[in-house]
Amino acid sequence: MFWLSGGFVFRRVVSPFHKLDPRVKLLLSLELFFLALVSSTVAEEGALIAVVLVVATVARSLRRIGRTVLFSSLFAAFIFAINLVFGLGLQSAILYSVRFLAIIGSTSVFFVTASPDELEQIMKWMRLPRDVVFAFVTAVRFIPVVMLDAFQIMDAQKSRGLEFEKGNIFARIRNMVPILIPLVVNSVIRSGELAEAMESRAYGSTPRPTSLYGMRTRWYDVVVAAASLVVFVTVTLYIYHLAPL
Amino acid sequence: MTINPRAAESKKTLATIEGLAFRYPDSKRRAVAGVDLEIGEGEIVLLAGPSGCGKSTLLRCINGLIPHMYPGEYSGSVTVGGLKVSSTPMSTLAQNVGLLFQNPENQIFMFSVERDVAFGLQNLSVPREEIRSRVDEAMKLLGISELAFRAPHELSDGQKQRAALAGVIAMRPKLIILDEPTSLLDPRTALEVVSLIEKLNRELGITFIVVEHRLELLVPIAHRLVVMDQGSKVMDGTPQEVLSDPRVEGYGIGVPAISRLYNALSKDGVGFSKVPETPEELARELNRA
Amino acid sequence: MTALSGVSLTIGERETVAIVGENGAGKTTLVRHINGLLKPTKGSVLVDGVDTRKTTTATLARKVGIAFQNPDHQLFSDSVENEVKFAMTNLGFAPEVVAQRVDWALKFFGLEDYRSSSPLVLSGGEKKRLTLACILAWDPEVVVLDEPTVGQDALQKEKLAQIFRLLQSTGKTIVIVSHDVEFLWPIQPRLVVMSGGRVVAEGQISSVMQDRGLLDRARVIQPQLLRLHSELRDRPPAPFLDVSEARAWVEGRDSRQERR
Repeated sequence: MFWLSGGFVFRRVVSPFHKLDPRVKLLLSLELFFLALVSSTVAEEGALIAVVLVVATVARSLRRIGRTVLFSSLFAAFIFAINLVFGLGLQSAILYSVRFLAIIGSTSVFFVTASPDELEQIMKWMRLPRDVVFAFVTAVRFIPVVMLDAFQIMDAQKSRGLEFEKGNIFARIRNMVPILIPLVVNSVIRSGELAEAMESRAYGSTPRPTSLYGMRTRWYDVVVAAASLVVFVTVTLYIYHLAPL
Repeated sequence: MTINPRAAESKKTLATIEGLAFRYPDSKRRAVAGVDLEIGEGEIVLLAGPSGCGKSTLLRCINGLIPHMYPGEYSGSVTVGGLKVSSTPMSTLAQNVGLLFQNPENQIFMFSVERDVAFGLQNLSVPREEIRSRVDEAMKLLGISELAFRAPHELSDGQKQRAALAGVIAMRPKLIILDEPTSLLDPRTALEVVSLIEKLNRELGITFIVVEHRLELLVPIAHRLVVMDQGSKVMDGTPQEVLSDPRVEGYGIGVPAISRLYNALSKDGVGFSKVPETPEELARELNRA
Repeated sequence: MTALSGVSLTIGERETVAIVGENGAGKTTLVRHINGLLKPTKGSVLVDGVDTRKTTTATLARKVGIAFQNPDHQLFSDSVENEVKFAMTNLGFAPEVVAQRVDWALKFFGLEDYRSSSPLVLSGGEKKRLTLACILAWDPEVVVLDEPTVGQDALQKEKLAQIFRLLQSTGKTIVIVSHDVEFLWPIQPRLVVMSGGRVVAEGQISSVMQDRGLLDRARVIQPQLLRLHSELRDRPPAPFLDVSEARAWVEGRDSRQERR
């Protein structure tokens, strides 16, 4: 689980890929994602995963993304098994499980290389409402905090004799209550404090706040985006031209 | 570090609170019940009182959260820098009064320190180049420039506190209110925050109101000590004046051990040339005898 | 990343031990080992002769109660009464015993009026008392308090000191993690100073805290009365424990001087 989440958390790295305009990163990731969905043979998916790993290497994040893809194979094996059980044939089972890995890899590329701040910039550029953008960024920002809260709550309740591991499914669900309620309560309290701090720093004064950073498209962004589009269109045509319908 | 107790007197008034009373909608009694207070420019005011005395409510009345965010039964007036708080929008008030809350975690919204420091300025539609320079200036003042790109969960408590304060300083308020800024910090880090407050007050002339239970941390830098109890102001004067007044021990505040000792000895007739603020000063007094 | 390194500590029955040190020094990590929330990667932790790695936190909880710093991380029940019952129910206490202990705990901590209220509507100070009530209700031999005085005003701290004295008089073993040297000083516990995941000093609080260099390195401050004592000429051998002791000494000294 930890390794899986590692592939979706941004890490500050200096690499040619990271320097790209966030919109180009999004474009590349979406292209890979789309191709993962429409590829119809295992060879194609395999090639796509290889491309994902090459991109990961350029982004100097091969270990993170590679590890995530690797550990997702557990889930992919599960998908494989389910497909067999439901009688969809060996060929399809392998295809679907490898497709899963390709999807994980392609989305991971975006989230590992685009910081939440860049995500915010993209959302602003897409003219999403100010409050939606803010809610999203703040939610991402507080993920580690809420996780820490959860661990502390579990420790406190374990110290009062609560045992999660024991009992049937019903007992286990019941044992979640002493964890979930404090988590929710803390989140509510936190929202209140955040609201006060936001007001005190003039949030809401204008529907279009200015920004410390802006996105700037440079020559290499245009080149990379254009090149990728050419490749993408070519590959898509190839897939549809040769894929049996 | 010497403070001229007369320095605060010669400055003009920055904030005036007159007959302020406020009752929350779901409460039977008034949280603040008729407070009159004047804050002079450049003062560091220490605000003390037992839990439930109305300190937190008073702070929110000064920065505008009451009545703008928390409506209720409000009477009297609060004026800061010539602006009447109840009729001035929060966006303007935020540029005059900053409020720093107890838990720095819940005041940092952004994923990196510098973007969080920029938050308030972005909300005020400040142009980009100006945001850049004010953010850099604020981070430099707080000594956190190297932390510009760090994520908040990578910071220590003291660093988080500084980051939150930088975000407030960037708005260039004349008055900054700190609600128990050191309660979650260890004593050494707390002392660092205290000397930071003193530095900002001395170099930039920012006025401070600090709510704190551990009075001994703030007394060395405070010009004034105001004590509240049950919604009213009950004592107001220099820290020496207030702490050496025998009434102070009846209000359930953490009177520092040195002050309690001084009061007990004075009552028994032991002579002192001045009211000691620190253990070292008291020792000097006693060694003279 | 090692949070603790080479820590060896023995806490005797009925002792009161205070652990001090800056945030991140490893204090909370250390005490989490006492009830098995954390198991050591090297070395062992024995509680009443039992190795914590060989048993569960729930079992250890019978003997060790930890009161954590943030009450909002614990309170969840629909009533204060059920909140206090929670641990004892988990630990398998008989219903009559549970009822008895709940009555005692509510009374002792002044929470009887809130018996059927939701714990979530209590004030900060009341919540703190409630978490203590929840722990002490099942009467563990070892009580661990993680920063009990944070955010508390003087009256609340005084109440806490009373509870402390009661715990000591009933022979409990107490471990308290705290920054609040002013609160700890009159209690005169055995002091453990931690820094960077290690124990850098250990001993009676009055002797350990005289080493200003050590305290500086560990980022701990001295209580006011100790600072006063160390600056006095002709000071008595033992530092003042509280204001009345200091006052008695000063006035005793003055009358001694008068007689000369």
